[in-house]
Amino acid sequence: MTTVHGTGGSHPTIRFEQRAPVEGRLHDFERVRLRVLADVVARTQERFARAPLDMLLGEALYLENVRLKREEANLFTRRRLKGDRELWGAVRAGLLQSPVTADRKALLRSVVKHYAEEIGGHFNPKLYRFATGAVPWGFSWLLNAASVRRFLPWGMTQSLESRLRIVGEVPALQRLAQQGTILLVPTHQSNIDSMLIGYVIYLMSLPPFSYGAGLNLFSNPALSFFMNGLGAYTVDRKKSNVIYKETLKNYSTRLLREGVHSIFFPGGGRSRSGAIESRLKLGLLGTALEAQIQNLQQRSEKPNIYVVPMVMSYHFVLEAASLIEDYLAEAGKHRFIITDDESWQPTKILSFFWKLFSSQSGITVRIGKPLDVFGNYVDEEGRSLGPNGTYLDARRLLTTEGELKAVPQRDQEYTRELGARLTERFHRENTALTSHVVAFAFFETLRRKYPELDLFRFLRLSVAQRSLPMEEFLAQAERYRQKLLEAADRGELFLSDELRTQELRAWVEDGVRQLGLLHDAGVVRIQGGAIWSEDMTLLYYYRNRLAGYGLSLLAEGGEMTGKPGQNDSKGFLA
Amino acid sequence: MTQKDFWLNSKVAVIGGGSFGTVLADLVARNCREVRLYVRSEEQARQINATRSNADYLPMLELKPNIAAMSDLERVFDGGVSAVIWALPSSVCRAQARRMAPLFKGDEVLLHATKGIEQGTLKRISEILREELPCPRIGVISGPNLAEEIARGDPAATVVASVFDEVVGAGEALLANDRFRIYRVNDVIGVEWAGTLKNILAIASGALDALQYGWNARAMLITRGLAEIVRFGAAMGAEKETFLSLAGVGDLLATCSSPLSRNYRVGFRLAKGETLEKVLADLGTTAEGVGTVKSVWDFASRRGIAMPITEAVDLLIENKATMAEIVQRLMSRPGQS
Repeated sequence: MTTVHGTGGSHPTIRFEQRAPVEGRLHDFERVRLRVLADVVARTQERFARAPLDMLLGEALYLENVRLKREEANLFTRRRLKGDRELWGAVRAGLLQSPVTADRKALLRSVVKHYAEEIGGHFNPKLYRFATGAVPWGFSWLLNAASVRRFLPWGMTQSLESRLRIVGEVPALQRLAQQGTILLVPTHQSNIDSMLIGYVIYLMSLPPFSYGAGLNLFSNPALSFFMNGLGAYTVDRKKSNVIYKETLKNYSTRLLREGVHSIFFPGGGRSRSGAIESRLKLGLLGTALEAQIQNLQQRSEKPNIYVVPMVMSYHFVLEAASLIEDYLAEAGKHRFIITDDESWQPTKILSFFWKLFSSQSGITVRIGKPLDVFGNYVDEEGRSLGPNGTYLDARRLLTTEGELKAVPQRDQEYTRELGARLTERFHRENTALTSHVVAFAFFETLRRKYPELDLFRFLRLSVAQRSLPMEEFLAQAERYRQKLLEAADRGELFLSDELRTQELRAWVEDGVRQLGLLHDAGVVRIQGGAIWSEDMTLLYYYRNRLAGYGLSLLAEGGEMTGKPGQNDSKGFLA
Repeated sequence: MTQKDFWLNSKVAVIGGGSFGTVLADLVARNCREVRLYVRSEEQARQINATRSNADYLPMLELKPNIAAMSDLERVFDGGVSAVIWALPSSVCRAQARRMAPLFKGDEVLLHATKGIEQGTLKRISEILREELPCPRIGVISGPNLAEEIARGDPAATVVASVFDEVVGAGEALLANDRFRIYRVNDVIGVEWAGTLKNILAIASGALDALQYGWNARAMLITRGLAEIVRFGAAMGAEKETFLSLAGVGDLLATCSSPLSRNYRVGFRLAKGETLEKVLADLGTTAEGVGTVKSVWDFASRRGIAMPITEAVDLLIENKATMAEIVQRLMSRPGQS
């Protein structure tokens, strides 16, 4: 029996025991898989029952043709793309015939079925069972092998404890997983996240969770192993037509209704800027409410869906350089998927983990306060808490003109509120690490020297301009730490133990060392009484982790720039 | 059951037995089964139920038979109500909401008709209600709605705004009749701020009339006043177009021109040299503008939002300058393009 314990900030230490893994719903999945797919197809068709099908199909055909023209087949995607082309070829041929000879409903069914298969048909229960056993084992091996060489030839389990700090509402999550269905919504920084989350879930003795992962990830053998293994279904963000989106939503809703705990990355993709998500994708998030409504209508035994935020704090992010470049190029708006970055190369992934586990580094994972599908807190028994000591009854909130039913506009609004609440919770459940504060303090102190520069000119400062006397930097770093302590006291975020307890020089050096683990001396370097940066864009990336708290230079000047996700007048994330 | 049928069979609570609350109860009574009008005292409730009119606030209106006044909140909410119409002054909003929180069930549609904000925090009424009540579906009623005129049956219209379409729909189903039109809006922030800010201009308008200035001066006040409240509203997240609606210009024109408006009366008498205490004491009801001015001006001056008329009204209310000085000051501002 392993005992993992986490400590973090002012939060009481949480100890949780490794219990025998709960038999998860995913294990029964093979039996229900076909039924689920059939249901998804039926429901999606029903949704379009009154839609003008010619227009709907025509639009989808056009968008899919554009996509297929752009897609380049490789060894892994060739078969899938061939299937796509055949389908849309048939749809085109059908649309050219009269509705009498080519039934539009049948055409739609073939499209929806194709999509449903792609989204959920992937799942291989055999592989799944194998992987749920193998993944934790792989992790332990990596953890222990790395540690064994460097530090702890004997204390293997101890090393695990010091690497991964799981803090926050773990007991609440464990309890709610028995009382309803969990929708875990993590912040998303790296493709490593998925693997890490799988492991964290295992450590918390929860049954495996299902989640939507980019279709492209399934094409990569190194990652698809983990993806399939962790119960993933596919999400292809390149498919922008409404039929696909509706099928995807219905699949997600159906899984939640089946009682399968799920994971969404509500930010859509990885954070490009390095900042915590402030604009969420509400479409998929809304399936939580949808599932709850259907559960209540069907009088399910455990109708409640609980939305649990989760914030992971890394000292360094494998794909940092590609992400921030993408952000700065503002290509992120059009190009959601970076097909070639560091996280794609198995050797890089391995070396990342090696660096992570062979050093005194760590990842903090905070389980946030559980919410209901409307964004209200829930108590120990899973009841929704309203203001002034009241309880909220989901049935009542979902009753319109005397009838419990889905009302699209109302539900969209409820989901928007949930999204707003989640953004707030993400910021508040964030744990600031030494590396973040070093990057933030250095960046902002340097900015004081060039207050008139906008973001892009600032990032192109010459090497000579990018350094600060150590004394000056230290004074500012301490000032920012103080501000963060105050913010933490107000409950706006958490601070790591190092930041809370260590001497100024000690935590600064820790931060510099942590950033250096992956980026060598790229982000910040201390040299001859000065601190300087070689790579300003990377520095900006790590600095952004503390954006949105009203700590930046211009926020001090009284400009109202403290809102997450906003840029100040010079283009910097506020 | 159609939407219309649902509301025709519904029970509705109207919270607040002032003149506007009474008029709203009368409007709603035509479109639902039962209206429960919550008033402050047992005595007032008895008087209303006995005489079928609200003698203190709106004696001219004969109340419909399906309106029952009551001062016991438990009774108001007994068995559940489908909609709650909130017509209390902003100063008591939070405290009353806290009191009523346990009585709400969560499926009510809540419409408020308060044209004010929480002093100091600058929170809008819908924000306060959302914070204090377990009832997310909230909307606002706002427009050129002088209670006496509606009570007379003069043609009038109002805006109902909510982020929830069904709340707006409920407002329309409950309030509309052939003498009263409803316009639908989704910009709640804009509607609430427009209703709040025009009270400041109403005070200014009363003051101008006290000095017996003519139409030119009033047109200047309304036009320039509109410009500054739009500026402020936009800074608070409102859509500028909302200020062109009945809840914006419409309400502004009515309150700035009518001696019926309470805020107008306050401005008029202050400009005549009476003290604020006396004016408010004589008024007997709330003049929302008085509380609003200080909070808004504090915020605007900190944020650098130009609001010369609001500043002038603040000077008048705080008795920091005479009317002559204030007018002098406004007119000698540096030239504008």
